[in-house]
Amino acid sequence: MGRNPGDLLIFIGKRLLQLIPVVLGVIILTFICTHLKLVGLCNAVYPHASPEVIAACNAKYSAPLLTQFVQYLTSLFQGNWGASPLGTPVYPAIAADLPATVELVLAALFIMVVIGIPLGVVAAQYSGRWADHLVRIFYLSGWATPTYLGAVIAAVFLGPALGLPSGGEYSTVVPPFPQYTHMSVVDAIIALNFPYTIDAIEHLILPASVLAFINMGIATRMTRASMLEVLPLDYVRSARMKGLGEFWVLYKHALRNALITTTTVLGVTAGGLLAGTVVVEEVFDWPGIGQYAYDAVGGGGSTANFDGAIAVVIIFAIGVVVANMIADIMYGVLDPRVEWR
Amino acid sequence: MTEPVLQVNDLTVTYTVGAGTFFAVSDVSLQIEPGQVVGIVGETGCGKSTLAKAIPRLLPEPPASIGSGAIIFRGTDLVKVGRRQLPMVRGTGIGMIFQEPLNSLNPAFRVFDQIAESIRIRHYREMGWLRSFQGGEQPFDYSKPPITTTAAGSLSKAIVPPAAEEAVKDRLATRSQFREEVLSYLRLVRINDPETILNLYPHELSGGMRQRIMIAMALSEKPSLLIADEPTSALDVTIQAQVLTLMKELIDEVHAAILFISHDLGVIAETADEVGVMYAGRIVEYGPVAEVFRDPRHPYTKMLLRAAPAHYKNDGPLSTIPGSVPNLSRPPPGCRFHPRCSLARDVCRGENPPLAPVDPAASAESPHIHRSACYFQSEVPNLR
Repeated sequence: MGRNPGDLLIFIGKRLLQLIPVVLGVIILTFICTHLKLVGLCNAVYPHASPEVIAACNAKYSAPLLTQFVQYLTSLFQGNWGASPLGTPVYPAIAADLPATVELVLAALFIMVVIGIPLGVVAAQYSGRWADHLVRIFYLSGWATPTYLGAVIAAVFLGPALGLPSGGEYSTVVPPFPQYTHMSVVDAIIALNFPYTIDAIEHLILPASVLAFINMGIATRMTRASMLEVLPLDYVRSARMKGLGEFWVLYKHALRNALITTTTVLGVTAGGLLAGTVVVEEVFDWPGIGQYAYDAVGGGGSTANFDGAIAVVIIFAIGVVVANMIADIMYGVLDPRVEWR
Repeated sequence: MTEPVLQVNDLTVTYTVGAGTFFAVSDVSLQIEPGQVVGIVGETGCGKSTLAKAIPRLLPEPPASIGSGAIIFRGTDLVKVGRRQLPMVRGTGIGMIFQEPLNSLNPAFRVFDQIAESIRIRHYREMGWLRSFQGGEQPFDYSKPPITTTAAGSLSKAIVPPAAEEAVKDRLATRSQFREEVLSYLRLVRINDPETILNLYPHELSGGMRQRIMIAMALSEKPSLLIADEPTSALDVTIQAQVLTLMKELIDEVHAAILFISHDLGVIAETADEVGVMYAGRIVEYGPVAEVFRDPRHPYTKMLLRAAPAHYKNDGPLSTIPGSVPNLSRPPPGCRFHPRCSLARDVCRGENPPLAPVDPAASAESPHIHRSACYFQSEVPNLR
């Protein structure tokens, strides 16, 4: 049949194997891009550093490119993600930052699903009428907003207006409980700290909403398009003829089938969202991997961190592949005609 | 005499597409009594399916619109029922079996869930948990075991139990009772291995199987009126015969009022009590099946019958009706059949003939007598 749990495991295994060439390609490309022209780089990047630091930096980057690459790969396979030129190791920073980003992306996806998909249904239901046009204006304005502008407007105007915080994960820099997962809301829940849970959610709302608003168009548009495809089909008519009210016809019978396409697209988007958080995290001071990436490439006057940049790109690539895999699994869960292969 | 289940009075349905208006159904009148099977026959594009879908108000409005007339179902005019009340009429009031069994079941749900949903709707309405449609003085309950001569008669008692108040209350209380109810409807439509079928998805079933499940789904709501819109047309011949046999047996068993739409004269002859012949959106001839088919009084019916293949007819090619169905955005004036009719005279081109009783002595009041919309109906038997 091709739909047993065993088949699913084989499917996931195959997808994970596909990760290897993707990640290798990503490493090579990023490595070349970051290491191509390094003459005098250490001086340029660390103008005020002590001569010892610059000497160490030069020593690290003076070997032939291939040698450096082999060194990097070897250490990567040994579990060593490298360090910044100043000696800060990459791995602990990423391990702490990635969960925060994943949390932000999941929250944005949640908003996209909960608001974007019903809007798509409404748009399809009233296609060509004013409700449809209103929805289109809504998602197109999101689509047309540059991320930095949307983020700044939300942080500067919307946050104070709604009484929502627009910076950081909590109101205090260090919360009074251990950070097991580095996801602000989850950690607060684990600590059973109710006030901090609310606080964490309040801090999450604005950045997640901005991210969701900007990407809402994908969810809404796909839902609208696939609903319009599904609505004239015979089984929707059968559902009406059963005596079901319009709500159940739309949200159970039609949407269930329309979601199959939407889910696939949302999975692809989720991978992209991961990388798209850089600006939002920077504006909202969200301690995620996007902010780390921004610093790693020398943004905001920080010191360049090539090992960190490569690591972030690898993480983003893995994120895209995994998000696609989850979308494929969801596709099979939603559509009983799909077989795992 | 009992109140008719359905009374359609001078129904006109139009489609507005772009600037054009199509008169898909014009001035159609019908009456269906409890337990009666009325067939509608006609060529493709004559408005049969539009009529079938217009009755439960299933046509998308716009582009379709009910121009005039009334659809009186158990005493309530469905044309005047609000959009939000319509679902209450459907399912338990009017059930429907569609032409395309391949696409009529939702591909995302198992057979069990789809039938269970229908039973749940009916059950909730019976229990009064959901508002249901209350039309007429006393709701007609076809589920009473009918007096039947078929061997299946004894079966029907067990499968369609009387809807006595106490019985209903206890019947579907537990999960296993509910499951048993679903199974009973699968058995009703002669599915051999219902336990297995329950857990399958529609794409794992054949066309004939899916149509049986559609029929089970419609019957499980115990509708007062069942509309079968070409239920066998999309199936291949052997499956068609099986489903038709099943339909005939079920007609005897469940004793529902049925509106049976088909382009197949043989199917109508086998299933229906009365038949209406449609041409270009109008009913041109109506009457008891035997009378209409033995002694057609409209040139169109006569030619349609002659064009039908029959096993005894092996002399030469089948005859055809010259010309084609008129464009319904500009129907011909007068009798719509006159451009193709050899009997046509000036009066046919000017005025539309009324559906007049064939037997002048018959009471014009009864809707069930043989009528024909032809000025020269007495000449039709001599038509060559």
